[in-house]
Amino acid sequence: MADTKRRSVIKLAGSAAAVASTGMAGILASGRTPAYAQQKTVHWLRWVDFVPASDALLKKELIPQAEKELGMKITLETVNGNDLQPRTTAAIQSGTGPDIIMAFNNYTYIYQNSVVDVSDVALEIDKNEGGIYKYCKSFCSDGKMYMSVPWVVPGGMVAYRKSWFAEEGANKFPDTWDEYRALGKKLKAKGRPIGQTLGHTFGDAPGFTYPLMWSFGGKEVEADGKTVAINSKETLESVKFMTAFWKEAHDEGGLAWDDTNNNRAFLSGTISSTLNGASIYIETLRKPDQYKTEKGTPMKDDILHSPLPKGPAGQFGFHLMQSDMLMKYSKNQDAAKQFLRWIHAEKNYEKWFVSQKGYGTPCTAKWESHPIWNADPVLAPFKVAARLGQAPGYAGLPNGKAAEALSKYIVTDMYAKAVQGMAPEDSVKWAESELKKIYSA
Amino acid sequence: MIEGSLLRRWTFYYIPLIVFVLVLLFPFYWMVITSFRPDGELYRPWNAPNYNPFWTSFPTIEHFTYLFEETDFGQWMMNTMFIATTATLISLFCGVLAGYALARLNFPWAGSLGTVIFITYLVPQTLLFIPLAEIIRDFKLGDTPWSLILTYPTFLIPFCTWLMMGYFKAIPKELEECARIDGASRWKAMVYIIIPCAVPGILSAGIIAFTLSWNEFIYALVFLSSPEQKTVPVGVTSELIRGDVFFWGSLMAGALLGSVPVAIVYSFFVEHYVSGLTGSVKG
Amino acid sequence: MTVTAVPGVAEARRPVPRLRALEDERWLAMVLLAPTAILLGLFIAYPFAEGVYLALSSAVVGDPGHFVGLKNFYKIWNDSIFRTAVWNTFWYTGVTTVFKLALGLWLAMLLNRHFKGKALVRAFILLPFIIPTVLSTFAWKWMFDPTFSVINWTLFHLGFITQRINWLGDPDLAMTSIIVVNIWRGVPFFAISLLAGLQTISPELNEAAAIDGARPWNRFWYITWPLLLPVTMVVMLFSVIQTFADFQLVYVMTGGGPANATHLFATYAYQIGIGTGLLSQGAAISLAMFPFLFLIVVVQLLYIRRVETR
Repeated sequence: MADTKRRSVIKLAGSAAAVASTGMAGILASGRTPAYAQQKTVHWLRWVDFVPASDALLKKELIPQAEKELGMKITLETVNGNDLQPRTTAAIQSGTGPDIIMAFNNYTYIYQNSVVDVSDVALEIDKNEGGIYKYCKSFCSDGKMYMSVPWVVPGGMVAYRKSWFAEEGANKFPDTWDEYRALGKKLKAKGRPIGQTLGHTFGDAPGFTYPLMWSFGGKEVEADGKTVAINSKETLESVKFMTAFWKEAHDEGGLAWDDTNNNRAFLSGTISSTLNGASIYIETLRKPDQYKTEKGTPMKDDILHSPLPKGPAGQFGFHLMQSDMLMKYSKNQDAAKQFLRWIHAEKNYEKWFVSQKGYGTPCTAKWESHPIWNADPVLAPFKVAARLGQAPGYAGLPNGKAAEALSKYIVTDMYAKAVQGMAPEDSVKWAESELKKIYSA
Repeated sequence: MIEGSLLRRWTFYYIPLIVFVLVLLFPFYWMVITSFRPDGELYRPWNAPNYNPFWTSFPTIEHFTYLFEETDFGQWMMNTMFIATTATLISLFCGVLAGYALARLNFPWAGSLGTVIFITYLVPQTLLFIPLAEIIRDFKLGDTPWSLILTYPTFLIPFCTWLMMGYFKAIPKELEECARIDGASRWKAMVYIIIPCAVPGILSAGIIAFTLSWNEFIYALVFLSSPEQKTVPVGVTSELIRGDVFFWGSLMAGALLGSVPVAIVYSFFVEHYVSGLTGSVKG
Repeated sequence: MTVTAVPGVAEARRPVPRLRALEDERWLAMVLLAPTAILLGLFIAYPFAEGVYLALSSAVVGDPGHFVGLKNFYKIWNDSIFRTAVWNTFWYTGVTTVFKLALGLWLAMLLNRHFKGKALVRAFILLPFIIPTVLSTFAWKWMFDPTFSVINWTLFHLGFITQRINWLGDPDLAMTSIIVVNIWRGVPFFAISLLAGLQTISPELNEAAAIDGARPWNRFWYITWPLLLPVTMVVMLFSVIQTFADFQLVYVMTGGGPANATHLFATYAYQIGIGTGLLSQGAAISLAMFPFLFLIVVVQLLYIRRVETR
């Protein structure tokens, strides 16, 4: 009701130039201030950043700066990452909500029908920054148009306790899964298990299970994008491996973990290594006095990162992809695009990127040469996350079907079920039937 | 009285009672204690030595200040109060009128209408929330408190009606007949005589409706999205479970404060709440 | 429903004719019932119909889809997670109701005596039921936390365990955990309601039986229990409906996990419908609740009627 009144006022005020009297009369009659005094507003929905400093930077510096320079009111809202999807659906269903919403991975395909084509913004970035990585492009564009503007790739690496690994004779991170498993066994015997979530969480669980499957040679579908190929010898091998690996080397509470439990477990010294973004390390940098090892030394000096180990079929990584969607129901699309361009402008984006301290890898090649990667060698492995990642839906495209499979946690559940006692053959068959339902629909 | 020795009394009576009370109230104690403990004390693993979780030597209000400074908690409290109060008033209005009609008026379909209202109580919110979201959108109520104020009565009215029916039935017909003999219209009789007699019932229904509104979750979760529109349960769930920074302290602080209004209202009207609850069950 | 344009008609005939119209019981009834009928019609009947239509369509978020008949129901029936959710819901409802009844009855009998501070105790024990479920469930979630659980701490220090109990990470334990919290929440409701029922039973009945030599258990079974049955059945009816359709508790405690082990109808409908955006399937899952609920309610209502007319 207020909306229609405002809209009619804007319409009237807009025609004021042509018919001044009607415009003025309209404004006076409605008793509202004229349209040009109305501010444009943009509502941006993001996840709660695992690097609090970045959120603080956005809220306290970048957003106010944008408001001033662009002359619009910008609201930044952050929610727990796992709530982004339901929020998005609810917003689309109720026809109102944030103008720009962050999307994870290829969820962009799920919302394909409800977003605005942002190719203009994305292609500008592509041109100015030396090209968007293929990995990122596959999530944001379906080949015809960009459904979202790539934002950043929080890389996932294994964070591990250097001293504890050294005590077991490992002076660098194990190369292969078998070596990792043997090492993990020794560590768990000392009460220092590996920590990994197999729960329904958007980051650490798929970030582990998909590369695990790929490194053994398993895959969801064939290259034709239709034939479900998960029920293979290779996948079965990986499931069998994981079942044993879990019992021997993992903290078995991991089934119930979300993306934050492993952080807390690591920081309180109950696990020795875990796949995670750089947030564990960054947290120890933030509060060096609070996080100490059992010997009393600062924990930040005892953490190193490494990619996941190699399997028989190679070494893979699946890193979270974050991009921004502009929603069709938004009434501020132009202002939103303006803002997106502004925040991606080098000098502005750089500030945000630096605050991430290497937690997030930008989506274009240009940023690989940024000095921050050399500042802290512990974070160096994250530099190439976006370049080397592989997308879900392999060997097909990371399209809507892959997105559905990802959001239903089929691959993760395949491992979770096996670990909880289901025969590996059965869990693989289960995954196959679930995938078939999606890919044949 | 329980016959028998002191020992018997203790084993069969006092001890079970104490255990019940402890178990029922311990989580609240835990809530309180956690809200006041500093982060350093909170995050010590369950088997760490020298660690007493049941008390703190360094109480702090940092969680509460965080709650009010970094989240819209104050706004959520106001929203929830507003929504709960308004929804309760609407439900009471409808419930009192409907209860009166069903209890004291004679008209066809009275019985089946009562049954229909009862049936609607059995349709749970979790069944309707998806299609209701569409309807809310069509009425352009999405992300406004009115989406809840108009939908909460759907589960509050049947309850209020039922409760009021019980109270109305208990008022003797003679009261009304006397009034009407004295010349009052049926309407006047209802408004000036019968309803005032049922005030305890209205109070009970209102309090229960208030606590039920405060307790609602799924509609608020699905229909509201902006942080400043949220109700306390939804806000606490979505904005205090965050990234990697520890927020359990604030979460418990939020849970504690969120429970306070309901607890206060309840504590003033315990008798009414209990009689309302039991009245609805017996009625 | 019986609502027509009655309020409008009544309005049109002001003032004395209106009052005369209200004298007629039928008109008055219609006027009084109008607001209720409108609200319930608009926000229950209409969405219910919409829900049925949605469940029979192929709607997903952003796309209204088209009519597909019973395909969604076929899909969800073949979904092993859905079948788990169905089983879970029945198990959850059954177990919690039995325990709530037993413990609630016991507590009610304990409270049915006079002791100092009885009013205070009675007021306090209702707290679990009063406090918003979401908030108290968070307290429990914190108590069950895999790394920082106070329950584990206590059991460890009492020497009962050496290994951590994985309350929320083990599928069976997770189910147990949500059952425990549901029972914790529901016992006060049962207790207070049953207490009121107990208080209507005249103590002389029990005393007379005692004088005649009846033992406590027989006294309970043959006197107290039958007289309590009407109240018990109504309380159970309310409780069963609430528990069957529960969402908040599971959503907060486990989100349906670990690995879908604790999903109920409602949480799975939410995950599929709102989480993954498959609205029509979500609606189908929600709607699937209805026949079961209906059956349970009808059976209980019939039983109540039988008990009351005995």
